[in-house]
Amino acid sequence: MFHRAKLAELDRDDAILETAADAADAARSSGTTRAAFLTRGGLMVGAGLGLGSLPIALAGAQGGLSSGDVRILNYALTLEYLEAAFYADALKRAGLRGNVLAFARTAHGDEQAHVDALKRTLGGKAVKRPRFDFMDATGSQDAFLRTAMTLEDTGVSAYQGQAPNIASRDVLAAAGAILAVEARHAAWVADLIGRGSDPSPAPDAFSPALDMNAVLAAVRRTGFIQ
Amino acid sequence: MADIHPTLDELDRDGALREAGARVDPITRGSFLRRALAVAGGAAAAGIALPALSPGAALAQSGSDVDILNYALTLEYLEAAFYAEAVSRGALSGELATFARTVAGHERAHVLALQRALGSKAVKRPSFDFKGTTGSQDAFWRTALTLEDTGVEAYQGAAVNIQSRDILTAAISIHPIEARHAAWIASISSRGGTSPNSPAPQPFNPARTMDEVLAVVRSTGFISTMAGATPSQGMTSQPAMTG
Repeated sequence: MFHRAKLAELDRDDAILETAADAADAARSSGTTRAAFLTRGGLMVGAGLGLGSLPIALAGAQGGLSSGDVRILNYALTLEYLEAAFYADALKRAGLRGNVLAFARTAHGDEQAHVDALKRTLGGKAVKRPRFDFMDATGSQDAFLRTAMTLEDTGVSAYQGQAPNIASRDVLAAAGAILAVEARHAAWVADLIGRGSDPSPAPDAFSPALDMNAVLAAVRRTGFIQ
Repeated sequence: MADIHPTLDELDRDGALREAGARVDPITRGSFLRRALAVAGGAAAAGIALPALSPGAALAQSGSDVDILNYALTLEYLEAAFYAEAVSRGALSGELATFARTVAGHERAHVLALQRALGSKAVKRPSFDFKGTTGSQDAFWRTALTLEDTGVEAYQGAAVNIQSRDILTAAISIHPIEARHAAWIASISSRGGTSPNSPAPQPFNPARTMDEVLAVVRSTGFISTMAGATPSQGMTSQPAMTG
């Protein structure tokens, strides 16, 4: 039976605390700068990224982001920074081949597009990209696959946990568009590992959600964020 | 036999949905929240199998949420029937058989959860004719891919219109499962070298409106008879069956 690792089990030291604190600071400071944000209004996710027509208009055009939405978007950005960096590192050093290489290239491009879209939307309120060290997780194809599945499963649960807290309809639409892609990645990598049986690409009829604290604590324990 | 092109309005043949929406039960949101579904965090950590949309939860739903849930239920009826037929016909083997068995169970669980949430306001299950698409591996995976992609787009498009936080929470626990199904079948099909389908073709998944999705469903011709439909509504085959 394949052991479906939780992020917490990837365990290491501490690090993301700072990033989480930065995100909280950004959220607090955003509460009074709605007017400043509005001057950057009209942002479209992916605009100028060569991604074609995206159905996602983020809230800049709709009257500014609430401080709660800024916090959620920075949380999402932190996770996307992590994922994008993970795939970039794996493409450099994990010796990926065949379908696994195709997956990593696709997922890397997707996560980078998510980072770009979130940064563009947050503008000056975006948290900075942390420094990462993926250690052994990007040292081999096997380690890469297992870590990728855990990160993607966590990404799905993280977006799912925040969706009901999102104030802006546009941000919710964008979160849904990203959530579905994280779920696609999660299923794809599970299928690459287990050929559809173990681990299953769709292990349950209903997807579990995770709250922000649980996800951040788990990410912190991976030690991936320096 | 004329093509049947049911819309949700036709499913709601006696206006039950609209009526239901108009007489929202005066349960307070607070009490509804307390007895409604299990949400992010605790329930998930406990590995729940159902989002626990409580029986009769529809009483506290807005009319539009009832419509959205019945729309989702219609799509889930379609998917569940498709996979059940594919499994029972026995034309699938290997990974496709595993996929069909697994997904059949998921879609059935979605149907049950939505029916429980809607209670007496749930639309009836239509009759289906899958036109041979469950009888061969090739036709099956192509159809499954379309149905699952459509399911993802449907939930995504509907989510932003949901009024109730609890209904939204439930809907987005199903949405990523449809996405997992879509990626899984694409991965199987591309591994065989018979399909260029990427399990994740775009960085942002597209959404579709209810009208767009229903047009896709109509174009399949898979819904052959609405339960309880009458000839005057354009249904030509089965006599009306009262619910």
